[in-house]
Amino acid sequence: MRVLLVEDDQGLAERIAAALRAESFVVDIASNGEDGAHQGATEFYDVAILDLGLPKVDGISVLKAWRAEGRSLPVLILTARDGWSEKVAGFKAGADDYLTKPFKVEEVIMRLRALVRRSNGHASNQLVCGSLSFDAQIGTFERDGLPLKLTGLEWRVLSCLMLRKEVVVERSELLERVYEGDADVESNSLEVIIGRLRRKIGHDSIETVRGRGYRLTAPSP
Amino acid sequence: MKLVPRSLGGRLLAGGAIFTVLALAVATGLIGAILYRFIIGQIDQRLDLEIATIAGAVTTDGSGKVSLGPFADVPPFDRIGSGWYWQVQGEGAAFKSASLAGGTLDRPPRPIDRRGPPPPPDIVSDRGEPLHARVRTVLVGGDALTITATAPRGAITGPLRDALVPLGASILAIAVALLGASLFQVRIGLRPLTRLSGDLRAVRTGRASRVPSEQPAELAPVVDELNALIDQNAAGLASARLHVANLAHGLKTPLASLAIELSEPGRDPGGSLRPLVEQMERGIRHHLGRARAAAAGGPTRSFVEIALRIADLTSALGKIYADKGIGIEIDVDPGMAVACEGQDVDEMLGNLLDNAFQWANSRVRIAARARDRDIVLSIVDDGPGLPDDLMRDVLLPGRRVDETVPGHGFGLSISRELAELYGGSLQLRPGDPHGLQAELTLPAVIESLER
Repeated sequence: MRVLLVEDDQGLAERIAAALRAESFVVDIASNGEDGAHQGATEFYDVAILDLGLPKVDGISVLKAWRAEGRSLPVLILTARDGWSEKVAGFKAGADDYLTKPFKVEEVIMRLRALVRRSNGHASNQLVCGSLSFDAQIGTFERDGLPLKLTGLEWRVLSCLMLRKEVVVERSELLERVYEGDADVESNSLEVIIGRLRRKIGHDSIETVRGRGYRLTAPSP
Repeated sequence: MKLVPRSLGGRLLAGGAIFTVLALAVATGLIGAILYRFIIGQIDQRLDLEIATIAGAVTTDGSGKVSLGPFADVPPFDRIGSGWYWQVQGEGAAFKSASLAGGTLDRPPRPIDRRGPPPPPDIVSDRGEPLHARVRTVLVGGDALTITATAPRGAITGPLRDALVPLGASILAIAVALLGASLFQVRIGLRPLTRLSGDLRAVRTGRASRVPSEQPAELAPVVDELNALIDQNAAGLASARLHVANLAHGLKTPLASLAIELSEPGRDPGGSLRPLVEQMERGIRHHLGRARAAAAGGPTRSFVEIALRIADLTSALGKIYADKGIGIEIDVDPGMAVACEGQDVDEMLGNLLDNAFQWANSRVRIAARARDRDIVLSIVDDGPGLPDDLMRDVLLPGRRVDETVPGHGFGLSISRELAELYGGSLQLRPGDPHGLQAELTLPAVIESLER
């Protein structure tokens, strides 16, 4: 899952990013409202964390700009402003959730996962595709009831496919959601990851749609 | 200064009354004096004429014998005891009017001397009648004769009284009319002050934001100053809130960093630092809430339609608690408004609704009704409810019932403090059939129901 973190306090941003990366999130940081608005409008993100008190352009304006451009990515406002009037203003501008500083980083992770799950149309935390099941809240995969061990990159690819099971996910989109913006990506590395995943969950589970991308599917018995 | 009345109306009335009475008394005295002089003049003229007639009738025959020529007493000098008398006195001569009937006018006053001192005091006849006298000395054949003519005092005081009684009555009537007029003037003149106090009450109770500027010229500067004061208070409140919010913001971001740092493995081996961070966090939230509540005592009350606020807040909470799928029932009249500041209403309702959403199983009911000059809001959830002892505790500052559920837990006590600052209240009671019912009472904007 790819997260845009718009936060002007560099120390806090780095700490949140580190905690999210430890949970296999892909994190891009924007340190002011102008950069944040631009990145959110032009790149693929599953979810955004938005501070409200930002230099150059404030968070509410960034959010309104995204919504005005038709960007529907879920947005979690993370701010020190904890008045209810401010919360209402945030939701009215188009926020999907609101968390006030200081916060527990586990709470942020839980809320982000819930936002991504809901934005993909899943009402429940438990996602099932054939013998594979995924707890969207905790972020764990099981195959036939047994925990599945995955590397960070594998988890990113599989969770993305799982959230959109039975739907073709574009190769370019997968790459965006798996690698951070400035990472140097080898052209065949995605194929390598898919190959390793097929060995873990069964070759038929991930279908290659030539020229487009991949699809997670329940293999017919 | 104790004699000066405390009310402006009393002062104006007392001042008006004193000057009216003084002016009318002086006028009455002056008119009386003029009338008196006029009547005296008339009487003197008549007596002088009588003296001149008598002087013309007195003759001497050359041997020194003085005689009174053909002369007849005309009324009223012929009526005995009328007070209209005359007498002639001199060497070997003594004549009297018939009305004197043998009596004498004793101690005749000094003769009239035009260049001399003012006329002599009046005399009293030997019958004891008070008389007004004129005296003249004439020379007849070398003899000096003193002629005295008198009129009764009653001839002066009678007409004077006849004139002064109706004059006094009409002056009294004028006094009453003048005092009535000043009472009316004071009432009319002071009415804008009564209206101004009503306008100020409206500002204080939130029904108006400013004192209307259409005022009499004398009050306009006062009203301008009042409005400037109201604006200054509002600006001070806004700036105080901004500073508190900035202070909280300045502390919260580094605190968030610290909390994350401490949650990393090995950073807090004793486990004693994390609770300290949480304590700081609670302290900041608590005092920020208190600062907001304390600032609410100012004059900036306004007109807040609660239905709109509830719609905004439930929409926000619906997103925060999206996974719970809480059903919301709202029974609030769209016109209902409370006389509180908008942010404070959000804070009170937000905390109560947040609590209800957090604990509800499936449903939150919100209803509002008017009671006297208040609006009573009821928020009911169908959650587990609270035991009686906790129901009291939870309204005390800084209490949090369930430490495991995220949330700062000061919400209810801050809501209660805010409600009490506005003269309202917050009460908790068991829901029906279960859950918790919060009842928030706030001052209503009565006008909103009439609009």
